[in-house]
Amino acid sequence: MANIVLNSVSRTFQREGKDFLALDNVSFTCHEHEFVAVVGPSGCGKTTCMRMAAGLEFPDSGSVTVGGKVVNAPGPDRAVVFQQFALFPWKTVHDNILFGLRSMGVAKAEAAERIATNLKLMNLEGYESAYPHQLSGGMQQRVAIARAYVLNPDVLLMDEPFGALDAQTRTVMQEELLRVGRANPRTVMFITHAVDEAVYLADRVVVMTRRPGAIKEIIDIKPIRDAENWQQYERIEDVMDLASFVHLRTRIWRLLREQHNPGDH
Amino acid sequence: MKARRDPVRPIIGLATMLALVGFWLVGSKVGLIDPQSFPSPDQFWAAAKQLTIGDGYADGRIHSHVLQSLKLICLGFFTATAVGVPLGLWMGWSRKAEALINPIFLLIRPIPALAWIPLAIVWLGLGDAAKVMILWFAAFVPSVINSFTGVRNIERPIIEASAMLGARGWNLIKDVIVPGALPSIFTGLRLSLQGCLTALVAAELLGALLGMGKVLYQAGLDIYPAMILAGMVPVALVGFALTALIDWVERRSMPWRANH
Repeated sequence: MANIVLNSVSRTFQREGKDFLALDNVSFTCHEHEFVAVVGPSGCGKTTCMRMAAGLEFPDSGSVTVGGKVVNAPGPDRAVVFQQFALFPWKTVHDNILFGLRSMGVAKAEAAERIATNLKLMNLEGYESAYPHQLSGGMQQRVAIARAYVLNPDVLLMDEPFGALDAQTRTVMQEELLRVGRANPRTVMFITHAVDEAVYLADRVVVMTRRPGAIKEIIDIKPIRDAENWQQYERIEDVMDLASFVHLRTRIWRLLREQHNPGDH
Repeated sequence: MKARRDPVRPIIGLATMLALVGFWLVGSKVGLIDPQSFPSPDQFWAAAKQLTIGDGYADGRIHSHVLQSLKLICLGFFTATAVGVPLGLWMGWSRKAEALINPIFLLIRPIPALAWIPLAIVWLGLGDAAKVMILWFAAFVPSVINSFTGVRNIERPIIEASAMLGARGWNLIKDVIVPGALPSIFTGLRLSLQGCLTALVAAELLGALLGMGKVLYQAGLDIYPAMILAGMVPVALVGFALTALIDWVERRSMPWRANH
C-alpha cells in the first residue's frame, strides 16, 4: 500500500524570535493511486505538508507515514518535483534523469530503457545531451518530471510544479500529466494555489486555511468527473467550460475567499 | 552596446601600451626620465641580454631562475590546495567538521603568509623546504575559504533533490558537492596562485641560491635598476601564464557553462 497519511500533524516555526503555528492538527490521506491536490493561500503550510511526506521536514507532533512506514529521511522511494525544478546544472538531461537510477543501483541496460521511455513520454527526445540552461522553462520542468517518473516511484510529490511556467506551457503540462497519470496511476500529492489546476487534475482537493494552516474542507472531484465523463475531452478548456467543473471551481474559490478577512492582504 | 563584440576596446588597450612604451623611449632620450631611478631602454636591453643569453645574473641565467621558482610555486600550490580544497569542502558539507576545524583555521587565517618566515627558518632552515612552507600558507587559506563558501552556496533545492534521489557517500561528493562548489573552488585556486607569487619573491629573500626573487633581491643590493626591471618581466610572464593555465582548466572542467 503506497498511501500517504498525515495524522494530526502540527508544526511550529520560529520567526523573529517568536513561535508561530504553521500547521495545526492537519490530517488527510492520499490513498493508493489517488491524486490529491492541496490548495490554499500562500503561507498556509501546504508545501510543508509535502516536505514532511518527502522527509525534508518533520512534524512537532502527530505522524506522517508513507506506505505505513513513518517518514524519517528523504529517499528515492518517493519522487519529488520541486517548484524551482532543482535540476543539476552541471549534468546533461540524460545524466539528470539517470542520477536517481544509479543511486538505486538499477542495472545499466534497464536504466537505459527506462530513460528512453521517459524521454519519449516527456517529448525530450533529441535533447539528451543538452544542459538545463540551454532549455526553456517548460522543457526544464519536463526533465524534472522525467527524473521523478523514471524512478517508477509509488509516491509522487509535486510542489507547484507548473507555477513558474507561462500559461500555454502550463496547460500543455497539465494535459500531459493527466495523460501520463491515466496510463500509469500513482499516489500523488500535488501542491498548488491554482484552483483550476487542482480541479482539473485531482481526484480530491484538500482546501487549507491560512495561519495557522489547517484543513478547511476536503472536496471529492472524482465522482463528479466520472459521472460527467470529463475524460472524453482532450483539451483542458473543454473541461473548464463544463457546468460541473465551474461549479466545483466556484465552490473551492468561495472556501478560499472566506478566509480573507477585511484588511488582510 | 555589447562590450565583448566591441572592436574599439582592444585597440584602446593596445594604444595605452604603445603610448607608455613610446613615452619611455622618447622620455629617456630627451632626458625627461632620469636613468638613475628608471632605466633607459638601452640599459634595459643590456640587462635583459645579460640575463637571458649572456653570462647570467645572480648565479644563473633566466631559465634556471624561472625553473627554481616554478618548482617552489608548484610544490607550495599543489600541496596547499590538495589539503585546502578537500578540507574546505568537508567543512562546508559537515557542521561537525566545521566545529572541529574552524577554530584552528580562524587562528591561522589572519596571519599573513610572510609572518611565517621566522618560524619557517627555525623549523626548516634556509633551504627550499622553508620557502615551500611559506608558499603553502599563502595558498592554503584562500583555497579553504572559497571551497567552504562554494559548498555553502549550493542552492538548497539542489541539495534536497540529491537527497531525494538517494545520493550518498562518494557519489554525493563527486556528483553534487564538487561540481556545485567548482566555480568558487576555481576562484580560490586563482587567489592561491596569486598568494604564491606574492610570497615567492619575499620567500626567496631567505638566502636563495636561485630564483626570480633572488634576481630582484640581488639587483636591489647592487643598485642595478635595469636588472630590477628585467627581473620583473619573468615574474609577470609566469604569473600570466599560470593564471591562463588555471582559466583553461576551469573552462575544460565546467562544460555546462560553455555558453555563458
